[in-house]
Amino acid sequence: MSDPELKIPEGWEERAVKDWEWATLWEAVEEGDHGYAHERVKEAIDVGIDPRVILDDGLFPGFNVQGERFSEQIIFIPEMLITARAMKAGLALIRPLLAANDEKPLGTFIMGTVLGDMHDIGQSIVTIMLENAGFEVINLGTDVHPDRFIEAAAEHNADMIGFSALLSTTVYYQKVTIDEFVKAGHRDKVHILIGGAPTTQEWADECGADGWGGDAMLAVNLARKLITEKRAAWA
Amino acid sequence: MADTIQLQIIDETGASSTLTAIRGETILEAAHRSGVEIIATCGMRGRCRSCRCRIVQGVVPPATVSDTVQLGHEEIRERFRLACQTKLLDDTVIKPMPPKSESGHQLLAGHVETSALDIYSGVEKVHIEAKAPVSEHHQTSDIEEIFMTLGVSLKSNEVPLQLLQDLPIKLREKKGDLTVTMFRGKIVDIEVGDTTEQIYGMAIDIGTTSIVGSLLNLKTGEELSSVGMLNPQSPFGADLMSRIAYAQFKPKNLAQLRGKILSGLNQLVGQAVEKADVSAANIYKVVLVGNTCMHHILLGIDVSYLGLAPYAPAVRDGQTIAASELPLKSVPRAHICTLPILAGFVGADALACVLATRIYESDTVRGLVDIGTNGEMVLGSKDHLIACSAPAGPAFEGAQIRHGMRGAVGAIERVHIGEDVICKTIGDDPAVGICGSGLIEACARMSDANVLNKMGSIKATPGLPKEIFNRIRKSDHGQEFVLVWSNDGGKSEDIALTQGDVRQLQLAKAAIFSGVMMLMKEMNVKPSEMDELLLCGGFGNYVDIESAVRIRLLPEMDVNRITYAGNAALMGAQMATLSDAEIDRADELVGKIEHVALAARPDFQEIFIDGMNFDTPSVREITGVEEATAL
Ligand code: B12
Ligand code: FES
Repeated sequence: MSDPELKIPEGWEERAVKDWEWATLWEAVEEGDHGYAHERVKEAIDVGIDPRVILDDGLFPGFNVQGERFSEQIIFIPEMLITARAMKAGLALIRPLLAANDEKPLGTFIMGTVLGDMHDIGQSIVTIMLENAGFEVINLGTDVHPDRFIEAAAEHNADMIGFSALLSTTVYYQKVTIDEFVKAGHRDKVHILIGGAPTTQEWADECGADGWGGDAMLAVNLARKLITEKRAAWA
Repeated sequence: MADTIQLQIIDETGASSTLTAIRGETILEAAHRSGVEIIATCGMRGRCRSCRCRIVQGVVPPATVSDTVQLGHEEIRERFRLACQTKLLDDTVIKPMPPKSESGHQLLAGHVETSALDIYSGVEKVHIEAKAPVSEHHQTSDIEEIFMTLGVSLKSNEVPLQLLQDLPIKLREKKGDLTVTMFRGKIVDIEVGDTTEQIYGMAIDIGTTSIVGSLLNLKTGEELSSVGMLNPQSPFGADLMSRIAYAQFKPKNLAQLRGKILSGLNQLVGQAVEKADVSAANIYKVVLVGNTCMHHILLGIDVSYLGLAPYAPAVRDGQTIAASELPLKSVPRAHICTLPILAGFVGADALACVLATRIYESDTVRGLVDIGTNGEMVLGSKDHLIACSAPAGPAFEGAQIRHGMRGAVGAIERVHIGEDVICKTIGDDPAVGICGSGLIEACARMSDANVLNKMGSIKATPGLPKEIFNRIRKSDHGQEFVLVWSNDGGKSEDIALTQGDVRQLQLAKAAIFSGVMMLMKEMNVKPSEMDELLLCGGFGNYVDIESAVRIRLLPEMDVNRITYAGNAALMGAQMATLSDAEIDRADELVGKIEHVALAARPDFQEIFIDGMNFDTPSVREITGVEEATAL
């Protein structure tokens, strides 16, 4: 296992303007300097760099490398959150521009902790990370009844749903909720991911989920992968 | 029954037992069904290594993901598997091989200062000279004669039938020379001769992990013996949630857990009376304290909903039950008293701690904290008391720590880092693992030595002494720090602390830290204004206080004001055994202590995340954690 390194996006020079450099923004996101991240993104917008390019070339490298380090436990929750905050500071400026360019969110994700369980922290971190990665996330909070999940999925025409559970007594409700999606005839319309400390890939298979995320970054990568496959299948 | 197979289990002594298993069930399921105990610390979730076994003969089932994660490729090649994950395919011979010795677990007994107590236990023995009825004219009976001699107005249907059955013989055996035992005004025993000196009670603290008890003389307050054992429910899950999950919606499993604890208690009583050389029939009062889950299981109350939000207990009030009703066979003449429960996860044990530490009569704000898998804390003074539960998880018991183990022989318990690392183990044996107190001290010293940064990352920074630098290495489990080399103080392998272990500790200590901080916030006191913080419970008493403050497991306060309170839960139970007034006090207190539900507090998350770091206030300015979590 080696310390993940920042991946410099190939050919970024061609996509930026003359004499531009991203290195300081990569570092700002990596180190969680949200003030600087905000400044730098603003400059990039002002010189006319495409918002999509700012996101991909300017913000994601620092975010992704920290995400990988988080997965490998080299950094921990507080540091991941600081990076997320810096990322968010930049994203806040670009998001309206992306929307104006008719860029849709990557996908719509419904997130919540299952019935009987009040643990919030894990799923709220997953939410922040998914939002940063470009998903629209509707967070239903904790102790969520299966019916609420199904309603929200229908209402928002969700692509993906995530169930979090932290208790030995409530992981069982991940299965119950999935079964309810089947009964309601809504199972095929969504991808279902599960997570939370006591869960495992094997439990995900057993309870009929489409995937398991051991930590917030793996959740993001999995969501990215599934949505890309889904879009490809549609095209 | 075509689909059964034979499973042969060889224990460490070499003895083997063969049982019939169903093809496709796990080794552990088969073993437990037949009463062979294999420890399942994580509750059969494939998340620990306690159920490790070796396939000695037969088809070696393919390794599951959990096997690979927990055991590593090498052990898998050597036919090690997790019993809870491995499905039986055909006739198999296995040998359970839990990685570390679970024996010799440190138990802690409490000692109560009896002089401060008003000793009236509710049990009284009266020596009488009763007369048998003499004339047929008198409309009387044996028992009415006894009532009359005692001078009490009772009805015969208030006397246990059992006592009436052999009364005629007893009354006449020594011409009415009898000792009558009363509990709270009711007759509970009648013996021939003068037995007024044989008047005993027992206090028992049923912990999720261990059970401790003490046998007391109800007249003098003297402790006659103290005993302890591991909770016999342990094979069904180390933490209480795993036990709830086991019993949830499965009455049979609940009954099984209940059976385990009842027979465990009978065994404990047996040990206690044997040590003190007294008769268990002279135990008249037993006070039991424990967390809500242990309490419910003991009484056979369904725990299904205790494990689901809003985690409500079925009853909160203290109960008094005749032992024969429970049934607790070892103490046929006793009554069992339970102390009241505060909330789903703040049990009678917490209340017993309040009794023992008397913080309810303090002028200044004091606090008590039980550091454990399911941490409980109470804070306040004579004006106001508040409580909460902060679930640290099993890291302090060594679970989910790569080389973690309980406080048994060979566990690293002290760590010193200078030019090199010096570790002390329990019993000064070769190191086989690290226990909770060692883990805390290791992290404190690693922080001091700059091996751990503020955020808990293991970093090989330049300028470290060479011996220290060499101990930092990369492994399959990420970065790790070697505490003991196998050829220098170790037993069979290097004992290292991995990055993942530090992360587990960070979550655990943040839970305790943030629980205490929330209560202080609620009370509006700063750590510096706290008069005293008492560490209760088995684990708290082994923790090095300075290290605990260093890593921010405990709030930043003067270490001289943090004190060990011993096993306060048992002490509280002892007090309630010796003095019925303490039981009344507990009933009164339970209505006064306010329970703070942390999950309902929006500010909890911020404090919790801040509490993961190892360094003090400035860290927040550096990291801006406050703002980050307010995203
Ligand atoms: C913080 C905490 C709490 C807080 C929760 C605060 C909040 N607002 O969330 C409080 C104090 C309220 C709490 C309460 C309880 N808790 Co609690 N709690 C914890 C603790 C310390 C950390 C959990 C946590 O936040 N981890 C950090 C997050 C970031 O990790 P995570 O949730 O696993 O999430 C990551 C991944 O799993 C993944 N992920 C998470 N969700 C999802 C979802 C999807 C879709 C995907 C893909 C990925 C994913 O991404 C995340 C980020 O990487 C653990 C113990 C421990 N050391 O782990 C106990 C623990 C989970 N709690 C436990 C218990 C029992 C309880 C209580 C029921 C009882 C009690 N003792 O108080 C109560 C319930 C009361 C209630 N009202 O909820 C037990 C569960 C035991 C078991 N075997 O089931 C634990 C393990 C502690 C113990 N005693 O052993 N708890
Ligand atoms: S891994 Fe089997 S019981 Fe923990």
